[in-house]
Amino acid sequence: MGKDRMQNGYGSGSEPGSPNGHHPFREHKQASRQSSTELFDLASKVMLIGDSGVGKTCLLVRFKDGAFLSGSFISTVGIDFRNKVVDVDGTKVKLQIWDTAGQERFRSVTHAYYRDAHALLLLYDVTNKASFDNIRAWLGEINEYAQEDVVIMLLGNKSDSTADRVIRTEDGEKLAKEYSVAFMETSAKTGMNVDLAFMAVARDLKMKKTRKPTEPKFNVADYVNQEKKTGGCCS
Amino acid sequence: MAGKSSLDNVTQSKVDGYGFERDGDFDHSSYDEFMSRYLAILSRRSIRWSGIVSKKNRVPRSRKVKRYCRKGIPNEHRPMVWMCVSGAQESMASSPLLYQTILKSQHDESTVEAITIDLHRTFPDNIYFSANGNLRGPLFNVLIALSHKNSDQGYCQGVNFVAGLLLLIVKNEEKVFWLLDTLMNDILPDFYAPDMKATQAEQELLGEIIKWKAPDLHAHLKKMDIQWCLVATKWFLCLFADVMPVETTLRIWDCLFYEGDKILLRVAAMLIIQNKDQFLRCRTFTETMDFFKQIVNNPKITDCHAFLQKCFTELGPFPKAKIKALREECMQGVK
Repeated sequence: MGKDRMQNGYGSGSEPGSPNGHHPFREHKQASRQSSTELFDLASKVMLIGDSGVGKTCLLVRFKDGAFLSGSFISTVGIDFRNKVVDVDGTKVKLQIWDTAGQERFRSVTHAYYRDAHALLLLYDVTNKASFDNIRAWLGEINEYAQEDVVIMLLGNKSDSTADRVIRTEDGEKLAKEYSVAFMETSAKTGMNVDLAFMAVARDLKMKKTRKPTEPKFNVADYVNQEKKTGGCCS
Repeated sequence: MAGKSSLDNVTQSKVDGYGFERDGDFDHSSYDEFMSRYLAILSRRSIRWSGIVSKKNRVPRSRKVKRYCRKGIPNEHRPMVWMCVSGAQESMASSPLLYQTILKSQHDESTVEAITIDLHRTFPDNIYFSANGNLRGPLFNVLIALSHKNSDQGYCQGVNFVAGLLLLIVKNEEKVFWLLDTLMNDILPDFYAPDMKATQAEQELLGEIIKWKAPDLHAHLKKMDIQWCLVATKWFLCLFADVMPVETTLRIWDCLFYEGDKILLRVAAMLIIQNKDQFLRCRTFTETMDFFKQIVNNPKITDCHAFLQKCFTELGPFPKAKIKALREECMQGVK
C-alpha cells in the first residue's frame, strides 16, 4: 500500500480550504502544535448542507466523536469546521468537513464554497416533509455552484424516528435515482450508516487519485447500495 | 473568611452565575485567579455607578456615562442602563401596548416553525433554557414578536443567542424585545436582513481594518486563503454571545448599547491582532482555522477587564469617517 502513498500529499490536489485551488499542501503539518500533527496522504473537503434542523451537526458529531447527546446541540450560525483523518485500505484521508447553517438566508454565504468541495452530503429529515420537498431546490443550487464531478450523497436522516416518519425510504430512493445521486437513510442517534456516508466519500477520493486507467471507475452510489444498512433494525 | 467562601461558590460551582453548566475541562484555577481580582474592580465600579444612577432609576447619556460603560456596568444596573443609553426605553414608552398586541396577533407559519426549531438549540447547556427551564417560552415570544414587527428582516439564526443572553440578564421579555428591536433598527441596521449583505460587508470591513492596523498579518492570512466570512459570521450575528465567555460578552454589550457597532470591529480586530505571532506561525488553511477557534475563549479573554481595556488602548483610533468610507467600499464589493 505504501507505494501508492503520495509523498507529503503533494500532487493530490489543493488544500481543501483553498477556494482558488492553487495551493498544494504544504508539507505534513508542523509538529510544533500538538493539535495538528496528524499525517495524511489525501485531503478532501466535504460540505454538509440541507434545511435547518435536519441534523447536519448531529451527523458530524456522531462521525467525529461517536457520540449523540440528545438535547445538547445548538443551531449552527455561519460555517463551522471539523477535521477527521480516516483510513481507507492503508491510505490516510483527511476529511475537512464544513458544517453550514441551514436557514435559507445563509445560502448566499455558503454556496460560494461549493465550488471546491469534493463531496456534498445533502440531508433531509424523514420526519419533516418540507425538508424533503426542498431537496430539489438544494440540488438546483448545487447544480449552479458546485463542480460537475462533485460527489453528491442524499441522506434521509433521523431514520430511527419510526413513529414520526412522513417520508418513506422509497421516496428518497426515487428522488436520488431521478438525479443520479447516491442515497441512504441515516441516524445520527443510533449511528446507522453515518460512518459509511463519510467513508464512501473518502474512498471515492482515494479511487479518483489512485485508480489506474485500466481499472473500472468507482461508483459511490453502487458502493453505498451494497454497504448500507436498511430499516430501523440492527445498525 | 466569608468573602473567600462566597468566592468559592462563584468559581467552584458546576453551574455559573448565569445558569450555564461548566464543562468538565473548565479551568477553575485561572477563573478563580481572575475573579479574585475582578470582584474588587466590580465593587469599586458599583460604588461609582451608584453616584450617577438617579433616584428615578434613570441614567442620562453623557461623556462620563460613556466612559463608565467602557469600564463595565454593574450587573444590577445593566437592564436599566442598556434600556436608557440605547434608546430602547424611549421606544418602549412611546408604544406601551405594542409588544402585547403583537403577541396576540396571527403569526407567519414558516417563521413560527423556524423559531421553534431553534428553541431547544439555544443554550441547551443553560439550566434556564434546558427542557426543564422556564425561558424557552419567553424566548419564543421575543423572537416571534421581533420578526413580526420587523417583517422585512424576519427571523435570522444567531438572534436566538442574543435574545437568550439578554433574557438571562434583563429578565423581562418586553424589555428584551425593545432592546433587540433597537439593535436591529438603530444600532446595527440591516445586519439581520435576509440578503445578509450588510453582515458580509462588515466582515470584509474587518479584513480592511486588519490590513490597516496589521498589514503583515493581513497578508499572511490572505496567503492562507482565510476569508473573513468564515471567521466572523457568528461573531457578528451573535454579537459574541455563545462565542466568548459570558462576562466578556456582557462587557462588549455595555459598549455596544452606548456607542454602537464600532465596538464589534474593535473587539474582532483585537482578538486577531493580539494573537499575531501565533497566526504568523500557522502554515496551512486548516491550522489557521483551528487557531481562530481558540482565540475567542482562553484566559486572555476571560479577563474581560484587561481585554476590553486593550481594545480601546492598543488599537489606536477608529475615526468614524474612515470607518464609514471603508464600510461603503466593502458594501460595494459584496455581490
